[in-house]
Amino acid sequence: MRNRKTLIKITVSLLFIIPLILSIFPFILMILVSLTQKSSIDFRFNFSEMSLINYSALFRNLNFLSLFKNSSIVVFFACTLNSLIASMAGYAFAKKWIWAKEKIFWIYLMTLIVPGQAIIVPLFIIMNKLGILNTHVVLFLPIINAFGVFLTRQFMESLPDDLLDAAKIDGCNEPRIFFNVVLPLVKPVIISLTIFTFITSWNDFLWPLISTTSSSMYTLTLGLSTLQSNYLTNYGLLLAGSTVIFLPPFILYSILQKQFIEGVALSGLKG
Amino acid sequence: MKSQFKNKSQRDYWGIAFLLPSLLILTLCYLLPMFMDLYYSFTSYNIIQEPKFIGLENYRELFSDKILGISLRNTLVYTIIVVPLQTVLALVFAVLLARVCSFRWGNLVKSILFIPVITSMILVGTIWRIFLTTDGGYVNNILQFFNIAPVNWLGGINSSLFSICLITVWKLTGYFLVIYYAAIMDIPKSYYEAAKVDGSNQIQQFWHITLPLLKPITYLVVTLGTIWSFQVFDLVYTMTGGGPGFSTTTLVLSIYNTAFKQFRMGYASSISIFFILIILVISVVQKYGFREKS
Repeated sequence: MRNRKTLIKITVSLLFIIPLILSIFPFILMILVSLTQKSSIDFRFNFSEMSLINYSALFRNLNFLSLFKNSSIVVFFACTLNSLIASMAGYAFAKKWIWAKEKIFWIYLMTLIVPGQAIIVPLFIIMNKLGILNTHVVLFLPIINAFGVFLTRQFMESLPDDLLDAAKIDGCNEPRIFFNVVLPLVKPVIISLTIFTFITSWNDFLWPLISTTSSSMYTLTLGLSTLQSNYLTNYGLLLAGSTVIFLPPFILYSILQKQFIEGVALSGLKG
Repeated sequence: MKSQFKNKSQRDYWGIAFLLPSLLILTLCYLLPMFMDLYYSFTSYNIIQEPKFIGLENYRELFSDKILGISLRNTLVYTIIVVPLQTVLALVFAVLLARVCSFRWGNLVKSILFIPVITSMILVGTIWRIFLTTDGGYVNNILQFFNIAPVNWLGGINSSLFSICLITVWKLTGYFLVIYYAAIMDIPKSYYEAAKVDGSNQIQQFWHITLPLLKPITYLVVTLGTIWSFQVFDLVYTMTGGGPGFSTTTLVLSIYNTAFKQFRMGYASSISIFFILIILVISVVQKYGFREKS
């Protein structure tokens, strides 16, 4: 009986090698081919002929340095502003008096149901009228949404009122209470929110595609998509571009695995 | 002094001050566009000239638009293939990992299957378009090894949408697996021990304990999967561009093409309103389902 159980356990465990290979092998192939200059792809890799020539072509001649910079700027502002603005609003909803609070919060929830793709047309028209298309601001502004507010509010409601009162009696003003008392206490949720925002903004495609027309403002995803239409069969180059997009989230994921899974799994709440 | 103790009901304006930045951005980027969607959907507007009010003309066109019909059908087919596949795979994987395999192995598999989840759809589209090349692509190479004739993955009218479905499942199963896995880990061990005492085997335990307790999670996974499926864009944009013909044109791709290829902002807005209504219906059905079952 015991033996049979162990056998089942081992067989099932070994069966998972198939999905494991399926999820990881494409990325290994991506990196391997990106180091070659093949015109057709195959499984034969000559390690002595591998070079970083595709990467140097990307960064030297194909604008990838500026794409990388744009993506980084957008991600940085999206993450910091979204965390700050969302937790401020979350705090207001959880602990402060606001006129018609329930109704406003209900409006916040409504905006979560409407998918982003359904409002890009008027969003483009607004940003066009404001004259801010082709700027970094237009790329990160719509990433700040009600989801972070919803999330931080839930955590802040559990903070004891006595604590905030005590800080007040000690002579803290409101901004100080928020920055020195509230924010440190909700740090875990801010980390999750930041990771979630990082992934969303780093991988964002449709909005950059619409809101930028000048290639100097392109983000990496947009750059890869352009690369694909210009170098359809230069596989090494295309996969080098893919690797450049792949690595930053992957490296962060390797370091902060637990927080990453929590942060990305959050999008389930968004719906 | 006394009023300071009533933190919640205190009527100072700090609450509004803290809310204001968020409210302004939300109004600009979400609320205003929602109302403008509705307004433009009654107009003909090409960005250069002023919008012209044309009443229900856009909606009339909406219901007779053949290509839109095809894109709606494609989106539905995509959803019907993707959602059950990724839900069942994620559930089966999660149950096996949590109930049969060791904790270590479960965690390892979970973390590796999560890698496709954090990558960008554009990257996924790019690498799979290359691997699925009909002549000499990796997938056909492997099939050839097993003596299976090469498949025209992305070039065939019938195969292209199916290929995109498979890649979606490849990318998202890890996500739903993580959700299921956490939920199964939350089921108290004592339930299973009691069942074991009663003499039920693993498979009976799955049907009578695990599956019923996971019902709310399954609702979440199915609705989320459905809503995400309706939003599919990046993958078809990079892999097929909606073709061959219109065989992989989806609803969001239609909105994009109408607005930014044909510059028919009014008509694109009416498709957007139609799209919002579909998502609302799915959300309402979900809410209703939740109340009914839990």
